[in-house]
Formats: sequence, C-alpha cells, structure tokens
Amino acid sequence: MAEVSINGVYKYYTGAEDKAAVKDLNLHINDGEFVAILGPSGCGKSSTMRMICGLEHISAGTIKFGDTVVNNLPPKDRDIAMVFENYALYPHKTVYDNIANPLKLAKVDKQEIDTRVVAAAQLLEIEHLLDRKPQELSGGQKQRVAIGRAIVRKPQVFLFDEPIAHLDAKLRARMRSELKRLQAELGVTSLYVTHDQLEALSMADRVAVMHDGVLQQFDTPQTVYDKPANAWVATFVGEPQMSLLECEIERGSDPLKLLFHNHPIEVDPVITDLLDKCGLNHVLVGFRPANVKVDVEYMDNSIAGSVYSRQLLGGELLIEVQVGDTIVRANVETEFTLKIGDPCHLKFSKSSLNIFNKDSGAALY
Amino acid sequence: MASIKDLLAAFDTPEVGDWAGVSMFFDFQPTFTHYYSLFAENNFGEYLVNSLLASLGSALVAVTLGSMAAYSLARMEFRGKKDLLFWIISTRMAPIVAVTVPLYAIFRSLDLVGTLPGLILAFTTFNLPFAIWILKGFFESVPYALEEAAQVDGCTRFQAFVSIIPLVAPGIGAFIVLCILFAWNDFLFATIIGSGGAKTLPAATRELVQPQNIDWGKIMAAGVITTLPMIPLGLLVRKYLVAGLTMGAVRE
Repeated sequence: MAEVSINGVYKYYTGAEDKAAVKDLNLHINDGEFVAILGPSGCGKSSTMRMICGLEHISAGTIKFGDTVVNNLPPKDRDIAMVFENYALYPHKTVYDNIANPLKLAKVDKQEIDTRVVAAAQLLEIEHLLDRKPQELSGGQKQRVAIGRAIVRKPQVFLFDEPIAHLDAKLRARMRSELKRLQAELGVTSLYVTHDQLEALSMADRVAVMHDGVLQQFDTPQTVYDKPANAWVATFVGEPQMSLLECEIERGSDPLKLLFHNHPIEVDPVITDLLDKCGLNHVLVGFRPANVKVDVEYMDNSIAGSVYSRQLLGGELLIEVQVGDTIVRANVETEFTLKIGDPCHLKFSKSSLNIFNKDSGAALY
Repeated sequence: MASIKDLLAAFDTPEVGDWAGVSMFFDFQPTFTHYYSLFAENNFGEYLVNSLLASLGSALVAVTLGSMAAYSLARMEFRGKKDLLFWIISTRMAPIVAVTVPLYAIFRSLDLVGTLPGLILAFTTFNLPFAIWILKGFFESVPYALEEAAQVDGCTRFQAFVSIIPLVAPGIGAFIVLCILFAWNDFLFATIIGSGGAKTLPAATRELVQPQNIDWGKIMAAGVITTLPMIPLGLLVRKYLVAGLTMGAVRE
C-alpha cells in the first residue's frame, strides 16, 4: 500500500503535440484512500490512469508511489492491479487460471496460489465458476473475475478503468456498493476512473473532476456537489443539471440588487456582501433544481415563464421553464398539471445558490 | 489412374461411338512399375524430402519472422507505417519472373544456388510479405487490452506478446499450411534456384519430359506423389483454415 503523488504531469500524444491531453496535473492520493477521477470522454482521465499504471509514457512531470518515482518503471514492476473497462480476461484460460495468472508470473508456489485464488473467489462469490471459460460467464461474473485477478496479488494500488460501465443498471448499483465495501475491507489505495457522476460521488472518498485535460476540482463528493469550483463543474456534477442564470448587479441601492431579466432575485445578506465585494457587474447564478419552485399562481416576487418540457423521473417530475432565452430546471411533485407551453411562475430559494464569475466561470465564495 | 497402368494400356481408347467400349478404361492389370522406377531410377525419394524440407522450412521462417513483423505493425504507431506496409506488399505485386535474373545473380554470388537453405530463402521471399499482411489482421483482431492486462499482471512486453499467441494460433496454423502449399507448388524458383542440389518434386517432374520421349506413366505417378501429401494436410486443417482466414473479418 502506498500514497500516490502526481506532480506537474503532462501528456502529449504523437500527432497532437500542440494539444496536451493532460495539462499540469497535480494530485496527491493518501494511503488507503479511494479517489475517483470524473470527467466526460476525452477529458484526460483515462490518459492519467494509463500513465499511473505504466501503459502510457509520461510526457512531463513525475508520478510517485510512496517515495519511489515510477516514471520509467514498466507496469510489471509497479506493483499495481488494474480492472479494465472491457474486463480483458484471457479467453483461452479458465477462471481459475485467469485469477492465478499474476501469481504464476510472480512465481508464487502452487499451494499458496491455490489458497489465495480460492480465497479471492470466495470473497467475490464466484467459487462455483472456477472451471469455466470467460465466454460462459455473464457480464457481472466476468467483472468479478477481473476484480478477482486484481485483488489476488495484494497490490500497492488498485486502478479501476470504468469497470462497471458495461453492466446493466441494476447490477451496476449492486457492484457499486460491493466495490466500495471491498475497497474498505482491503484498505488498498484505489483510483477509479469514470464518466458517471453517480459512481464517483457514491463511492469515492475524494473526487477529482477533469475537463479538457485540466483538473477542475479535487475534493470530497459533498464539497464538489455543494461548492463547485467553477461553472463547468457546477453543471457537470449533479443530476438533473444545475441551471445557470445570467444576472446583473445593480449597485444603485442599498442593499444592492441582483437582477435576472430585470427582475430582482432575493438573496441572503451573506451573498449580498459577496456580490458587493466582487466588483463585477454581471455574474452567473446557479440553482439546483430542488431549490426552484414552479407554480401556476403568482407567488411573492416570482418570475413569469412558460413550461418548456416535462420529464417524469419516477418519484418526481423535472420541469424545464423558459424565461426569455434561459432554461431553468425545477423539481416538482408528480401531481403538477401544467402542459408544455403553459404559462407558469418561478421562485428561487434564497440561501442555496452558487455565484460564478461570468467571464472566467470561477466560483465566488 | 494412368499412373498404375501399363504404358501401352494407358493410351488404349475405344472406337469412336463405341460406348460399351468405355469399360476398357477400367479393364487393366494394375502395375506399380512407374512408382518403383521413379524412386529407383529418378531419385524421387530425395526430391520428396527436398520438397518437404524446403516448403516446411520456408513456412516456418515466414511465420516466425512474419508474426513478429505483423505484431509490431499491428500494435505500434510510427512514421511511414503505411508506406512500409505498401512496400512489403508491393514485393508481391511485381511478377516474380521480372526479378528472377537479379535474384539468381544475388543467390549465385552468395553460393546459395542449388542448396536447400537457398531454396528456403527463395520461397520465403514470396511467403513473408503475404504472412505479414495476413497475420497483421489476426493480431489486430485480438484486443490490445488483453496484453495491457498481461503487462499489469507482471508480464514483460515480450511475454505479453507470447501470452496472446494461443488466441491467434488457429490463424497461424492455417497460415503455415497455406505457406507450405505455396512453396510446395512453386515451380519457377524450384527450377531456377533449386535445381541441381535441391531439386523439388515439380522441378523433377518436368525433367521427365525429354526430347526423345515423354514418360507419361512416370509423369502421372509423379503427379500423384506430389498431390497425395497435401490432401490429408488440407483435410486436417480445413476447419481451421476457414476459421483462421475469416478471423478478424467479423467483429465480435
């Protein structure tokens, strides 16, 4: 087990030397910590993982496991285990041999291999499958075998590259909880790459959000959700998405006014202070759908708009409301009767909002 | 059938229009003299061995070198890869006759004319480009993640390559057979490079046609000897040949 520190790492691919796939990445992962790298496809998260495991050359910067710089070590000398997106099981070997492979390569003696493979299989509840070949297994079983192959050798670092992306939704939910439990049980430093925010937020101790090769925020899931570092993180994390409203600050009065389409938005004094000090005239104000109310009737200080779409999310309904050229999302009760195109009224909660610089996107706190 | 007929009987034909007389084709005393004399007088035993060694040898050389070249061409990205691939296949585009004279000169200056290694080398010149192209397809059909997994498991780069060989084995097996067939049937190189010390069956058969007489009985027998070993080989790998050659054609 070890800490992993990534210091000023860059990745350039041949043929695209002018555009870095990963730019000046700095991450410090504590011993035994479970860190998720979250981002859309092409954000550099997989490149980062592949540099950590040694399958991809590091263009600049250093990666350390504990005190050892691993930049020039081949994968086999890094003492890591990786679970691949497509499982990458050896199709011609049985489940037993698949799990035993890393131990055989490490020249562990037969007796010991047997004990450890069986123990890993028991932990993952796949003992009855040990004699089968991978093509006779279901997706979830293959996944367990791939995890078995990773845990059997007690590595310093676990790497998960979207390991459950190809499973169906129900099985994904179950594997999420099992992976989390397994990681806690084994206590091995783990890095988990995913584009699914639900996986990242629900499993990780800390989440690193990446976009266009740049680390946007590295913090606990709760902080990433409540206090996104910038407007991009704010709209990427959270489902349904946060609505960003372009607002104008009118400094003529005291306290100053926050205007959305010339309509004042009520805010807490803390926010007023913040807006006063920032010196900007235009800001983006973000509201989570749960903090927006929609009704047919006029509410105290509400804004008029029209229903743009309605989507049933099971227990509640997501309503998109058009105000001018802005779409605002709100969660409402399923009894909500308005149809698409109907006029309605919006009201924002005073306290739960995020303010971002309109030009740079950076959050103001 | 003519190979086991007496020379005169082989040319017996019924009268024109005499359909009942067709039976005379099958009414003969079988004789193995042609076979016997091929081996006793014409050294066909030696030629058979030459043929086997040359075709097997070249198939093995082509597949060993070819699989390594194909692997790197399938997996690595480097400048000029497309040109290199085209250059490799272009060596098969030119008619072999066009390069026979310079090739002969080169082989002679290296003292390879009329030797088995020379013949193996000559056969490899046309088997290798083919091997590289076909095997490249096989390797591309194996997901790269498998090798990455192997490396993470503790393999070196080369061990990772070895670990996926079982997956391309049907393809390689089928391809060895194809190489053997090409080499076995080759006539041009066999006569030009091989004749003398390393005569193969096709080259030796041609020598049975002589100015004063054409020994049809022996020619027929030689034809049978040349064909027979390839038949079981073909049957043996028929299944793999189809599986191997369609491998990589369809994505799973």
